Amino acid sequence: MQTLIQNLIASGVFGKNPPRDLVAAIVVFVMSLVVFLAVALPFGGIVTWVERRVWARIQSRVGPNRVGPQGFLQWLADGIKIICKEDIIPDEADSRLFKMAPYLVMLAFILPWAVMPFSSSLILADLNVGILYMTAVTALTVVGVLMAGWASNNKWSLIGGVRSAAQIVSYEIPAGLSIFPVVLMTGTLSMQGIIRGQGWAPQHWFLFANPFTFVAANILYMSSLAEANRTPFDLPEAESELVAGFATEYSGWRYACFSMAEWGNLFIVGAIITTLFLGGWQFPHVTNNVVAMNVLEVITFTVKVLFLVFVSMWIRATLPRVRIDQLTTACWKYFVPISFVNMIGTAVWVAIWPDGNVAIGYIMFAGAIVLGAVFIQRVIYYLRRSRMEVYLNPTI
Amino acid sequence: MSAVSQYVHNIKDTVSTIFEGMAVTASHFMRKPYTVQYPDRMPVRVQDTLPFRYRGILDVDLEICTGCLACERACPIDCIVIVAEKDQQTRQLLLSQFDIDIAKCMYCGLCSEVCPTGSIHHTTEFEGADYSLESLIRRFVQDPVMAYKAKKGPETDPRIAPILNRGMAYLDQWAQPGGEKPPGEEPA
Amino acid sequence: MSTLRTEEMTLNMGPQHPSTHGVLRFVVRADGEVMREAIPDVGYLHRSIEKIAEKVGYRGFMPYTDRVDYVCAMFTNQGWGMACEKLAGIEVPKRGEYCRVIAAEFNRIASHLLSVGAMAMDIGAMTPFAHVIREREMINDLIEELCGARLTFNYMRIGGVAWDLPPGWREKALKYLDHFDPILEEYNALISWNKIYVERLANVGVITPAEAINYNLVGPNLRACGIKWDIRKDIPYSVYPEFEFEVPVGNGQWGKLGDSMDRYVVRIREMAESSKILRQALQKIPPGAVLAKVVRNFKPPAGECQIRVESGRGDMGWYLVSDGTGYPWRVHVRTGSFAAMGIIQKLSAGLMIADLVTLIASLDVIAPEIDR
Repeated sequence: MQTLIQNLIASGVFGKNPPRDLVAAIVVFVMSLVVFLAVALPFGGIVTWVERRVWARIQSRVGPNRVGPQGFLQWLADGIKIICKEDIIPDEADSRLFKMAPYLVMLAFILPWAVMPFSSSLILADLNVGILYMTAVTALTVVGVLMAGWASNNKWSLIGGVRSAAQIVSYEIPAGLSIFPVVLMTGTLSMQGIIRGQGWAPQHWFLFANPFTFVAANILYMSSLAEANRTPFDLPEAESELVAGFATEYSGWRYACFSMAEWGNLFIVGAIITTLFLGGWQFPHVTNNVVAMNVLEVITFTVKVLFLVFVSMWIRATLPRVRIDQLTTACWKYFVPISFVNMIGTAVWVAIWPDGNVAIGYIMFAGAIVLGAVFIQRVIYYLRRSRMEVYLNPTI
Repeated sequence: MSAVSQYVHNIKDTVSTIFEGMAVTASHFMRKPYTVQYPDRMPVRVQDTLPFRYRGILDVDLEICTGCLACERACPIDCIVIVAEKDQQTRQLLLSQFDIDIAKCMYCGLCSEVCPTGSIHHTTEFEGADYSLESLIRRFVQDPVMAYKAKKGPETDPRIAPILNRGMAYLDQWAQPGGEKPPGEEPA
Repeated sequence: MSTLRTEEMTLNMGPQHPSTHGVLRFVVRADGEVMREAIPDVGYLHRSIEKIAEKVGYRGFMPYTDRVDYVCAMFTNQGWGMACEKLAGIEVPKRGEYCRVIAAEFNRIASHLLSVGAMAMDIGAMTPFAHVIREREMINDLIEELCGARLTFNYMRIGGVAWDLPPGWREKALKYLDHFDPILEEYNALISWNKIYVERLANVGVITPAEAINYNLVGPNLRACGIKWDIRKDIPYSVYPEFEFEVPVGNGQWGKLGDSMDRYVVRIREMAESSKILRQALQKIPPGAVLAKVVRNFKPPAGECQIRVESGRGDMGWYLVSDGTGYPWRVHVRTGSFAAMGIIQKLSAGLMIADLVTLIASLDVIAPEIDR
């Protein structure tokens, strides 16, 4: 960011001798608006379209395909519809808390975008505690959800809100502990520092650096899914039990705030995993043109994050929901001890090989390819076994 | 020791069954969807793809209605109203009202089963939604018509013969009590 | 340290709820997540069908029987047909019985598919429900060719069935069965053996065999407790003695005997058995008539009779009292879901709220059957 500001001042766009701090503040403000309005908000909408189409194909259906080409404008239509709805506040509800809850949840969704590393120079603020900031700020959802559950004056919402608070707070621990192995390997908490500690090739990613970080990556992914209230951990909004959980009494654009924060959190989850374990925006140095390199890096980052978002949707379509006591059992009895083992294991690893061990990286990458091949073989087995040629209705 | 082995077994079970489940959903992702994109993205109208026996909205061919009132008696929900009177001068049976309330009709097929000529029959139409309840009472008689008198031999009137043939073909789909199977069915 | 004062919550899982199977209401007294008691409140779907029978007569009542349990409409048709035939002493021709069995077993597969899919959806997995609806669509297409309707079939008549198998239908049905058997394996891989699913279902709502008999449970609910009772084998009717099939019984290998997982697995296995029966019936169906001759205005002699049919939900009892006129004196239907509602109140103590949903789904409660 600083280099960008320096280049802008040096190119004379702002006149002869502009006050540096004012220019820096304006540029950062404009960039934040751009990131939020042009990236975060549309992403929150577009991912609903992607989710509905992906889900539908997994369920042998088609999904929305009428509004716009391939149904691409469905999210716009839904968004316009939902903000035109009546804003109902229940009579007995605590109206100040009721109104404040969506704002807090939106805040927890907006703040992490400040440290999102899109490319080597496109990051709003390269804090030297970047990953810690992100973890801390995504935990604001607890406050919002609890407020929503309590202020709705509805017993079902209260149950949903309390469940969600227990869930998010419990899963902070394995998530935080799983960040430690990466920090141990790079020695820095800043996002760009962690990405620069990895290479562009898969064997240099932290995912394959040693078996402990591989397990830590999976634990971090699942804990982040639990914090984002996604299946299999979507008890707070369990549709078949609590209608919409803590957000039952919300209607109109307030409900859209909750919704958008939930879908947008998928991107943030994907971004955290990409930064820490999948090499971030790293791309081989093929050209000296700065703009072209930045564009390639942004594309790499986005592709990796979108793949993880797709995996989240795929998991949501496959797995059922766990019960609250099974959720806490999984967290405290399984995830937390394994995270501790990862942390200690990585510490020992870094003590033995301070500069990293690329051989293990190659071996683990090969192992991952073998796992992928086994998976594809199972998929082909199911494709061959149950053929859908039996279209008895000839119109299909 | 058994607690540790149970612990490891749980983890192994979870990972392997989730792996299998994801493989199944991935295989479905690759397949063609089973959706019929009614009503616009279809090669033919849906109504033309439904089988002949489909019990859609009722229709009456007044040219072959004999005024026997069997359908009115058979209907369990009293949705058919027929007024058939013998005209004093011409000594003919005159149908002056034949109303079917398709909002009440439960599409059971008991009326078409007992019709002697197949004049009341189910069509493959199912799109009956409308804005007013009155339009759901189908009135089939505008001016009073004469009821049909079945002839001894085959029907000779060229206007009525195709209608009668279609009606009898519709009736042939039903099972004949104690009789032979309908034409066209292959033996087991 | 003084004890913390806690209160019990009274929640209302009202008649409009996404997961109760139909219009049911539960008043739940809960201490946080754990329930003390769930009191069922039925009657929202009462349509006086048994009283309507006294008005419409014997023939006219057949379409109403579809609505008693719209998921298992063929069995209700068969029950009513058999009750009238037993009272009047009519014998159904052989081919008619075969057609009845074929239609009924297809309907059993469809009903169990819906139960399995709805249970998966209540537990949280959305895809099995969509797959199940796809399979049911194929069965519905088959039956639509056979009798013209997809849900309320009105296929059977007093004395047999109303339509014979259309030409080419047997081949289509066999092709469907060839497609269906690997699909069951897919369901097993996707949901049945999935660890999360097993954890949600095992040891939830355990019913001991003595309790099951005392509370009058029937069908897969009873067989999951280890009791081997199936009307098709124990009080045989129609042509079921000519077919070879087994009656799956729960064995408690995932948890205790009689828990929700047993009930679920019994249903999956019953679908495989129905597929077996269908293959045998489609091969062995004899030529002949499908409908016996019955007088136009049907007047059975005065008296009463009782019929038991093994429907998708279990032993469905039909009790018919006739006074010699063309209209029945009294009709009563005894369905399996009614007894299942009674046992929910007893089992709910100590369960969590999420388990209540699982319990209702695993007992395969269908609301119109409870209230009629």
